[in-house]
Amino acid sequence: MSELRLSSIETRGVPGKKRYAMVIDLRRCIGCDGCMTACKAEYDVPLGVWRTWVPYRVVGTYPNVRKQFLPRLCNHCDDPPCVRSCPVGATYKVEDGGFVLQHYDRCIGCKACMASCPYNARFLLPKDRSYTEITGVVDKCTFCHHRVIQGMSPACVQTCIGRARIFGDLNDPNSEVARLVATLPTQVLRPEEGTKPNVFYIGADRNLTEHGRAVYNPPEVLERDRQAFDNHKA
Amino acid sequence: MGDFNVFHHMPWSGSYAIYFFVIGISAALFFFSALSWYREEFKSLRASSFYLSLLLLAVGGLLLIGDLTQPGRFLNIMNPAYLNFDSPLAWGGLNLISFGLVSVAYFFMLRSNDEPRGRILAVIGSLLAVGLPIYTGFDLTVHQNRPVWNSPLMPVLFVALSLVSGAAVASFLAGKNEQLQVMLRRFMLWSAAGVGAMLISLLGTTAYGGVGAEQTFMFLTSGVLGGIFVGLGILLGTAAPIALLVTPFGHRQTGIWSAAALLLVGGMALRYAILIGGQIVQTYF
Ligand code: SF4
Ligand code: SF4
Repeated sequence: MSELRLSSIETRGVPGKKRYAMVIDLRRCIGCDGCMTACKAEYDVPLGVWRTWVPYRVVGTYPNVRKQFLPRLCNHCDDPPCVRSCPVGATYKVEDGGFVLQHYDRCIGCKACMASCPYNARFLLPKDRSYTEITGVVDKCTFCHHRVIQGMSPACVQTCIGRARIFGDLNDPNSEVARLVATLPTQVLRPEEGTKPNVFYIGADRNLTEHGRAVYNPPEVLERDRQAFDNHKA
Repeated sequence: MGDFNVFHHMPWSGSYAIYFFVIGISAALFFFSALSWYREEFKSLRASSFYLSLLLLAVGGLLLIGDLTQPGRFLNIMNPAYLNFDSPLAWGGLNLISFGLVSVAYFFMLRSNDEPRGRILAVIGSLLAVGLPIYTGFDLTVHQNRPVWNSPLMPVLFVALSLVSGAAVASFLAGKNEQLQVMLRRFMLWSAAGVGAMLISLLGTTAYGGVGAEQTFMFLTSGVLGGIFVGLGILLGTAAPIALLVTPFGHRQTGIWSAAALLLVGGMALRYAILIGGQIVQTYF
């Protein structure tokens, strides 16, 4: 990595430290939503909110059309605005590995981290949940910290049928992610925000990476999701 | 056709705008009470303005705590082992608590009518009071990904809005005290003019910003927030009262009160539109 390091919190390129990253090869994604399902099952993610989600957009004009997917999750940014905006240090960065995690017992629910994340990666857990005790605090993707430290890959990576999601240590030059990032043109989301994301895309389509005009005509499914979440909260 | 995205939540709901409104008024009212130790015209406001400030501070504090999803953990914000000074919220929390403590001291001082101490507490309290709109502005400014919010104008705009709304409320407290109304009219006029000038710059930079900013501009002007932002906030709540205050009618008691009522509507509408406007576009990203 020849990138300029600007902040002391960054772990990319720090010798002796791991820097986990994900590469999502969109040429291989078939939009099966297996990753969303695996993640929901792994964490009992409530209705209406996601740690990872796979939006799609149909682009082009018939007969030249294509369904373009863009799996999304927390980018475990190297310079995460969510960490700096949390007044009580409830969200923090693990130096070895670069995971951005939550101290659930510390979070006061001020939602400053949600406001500061440019990727909508964070959400509020409802007050009542059937199987999980963590309630009423902010949650997000953990890069499956508990699995990774035991030598497993994240649930979404393990389940990905197209092997579109590749996970590994970017600081290890022999890892698959390091090789892919070094040898292929990759994109990150909203690089202008200075967050230095660690989720890299191969073949990301600008119809999905940019703010689209569609915000004026949002698909009805958004309303249904909103409704589902509100019903669930009640 | 056939697009799919998931719905994302606006992290900060409209109740934050009510908090901004209430706390801004509380800060300005304290300032007017403090001014009474130094300017004779404000003397009649000393007690009434302070008591209302204290009441609004309590209401604002409750609103803020009530909006946390873990209100019981509010005290975490004072735990030195947890505090993260990179966050303006941490500074804001400390500012709010210090302002509360100084207000309580000021309350007792008022009852004992201790002039030398009153003057000192007035200065300390005013500095902390001005910190409240500044921190609420910073709270928004630091989010670099949010159009409208991410502008260095925010803290200054919130100070001006605080003065406008506070002076408007104070004009009702001032009753028929003509000398005081003259001063408050000036406060309203000049701070509203400041708000107007800042809104023009803000609209300019938002309209010519990136795609997110440009869309936010559209939401704020011709979109869902147009009525609240342009209609209530700019036209009815800023431009109309300024126009009113410069006319001969605006120099009279009823004119000042009419302008004050409009400014209060405008102050609330602007805070709401800015708060929500900065969040709409991203819910679809
Ligand atoms: S994607 Fe959002 S939540 Fe994740 S580290 Fe970056 S700023 Fe924080
Ligand atoms: S909601 Fe929780 S994690 Fe997020 S900034 Fe507030 S205290 Fe920190």
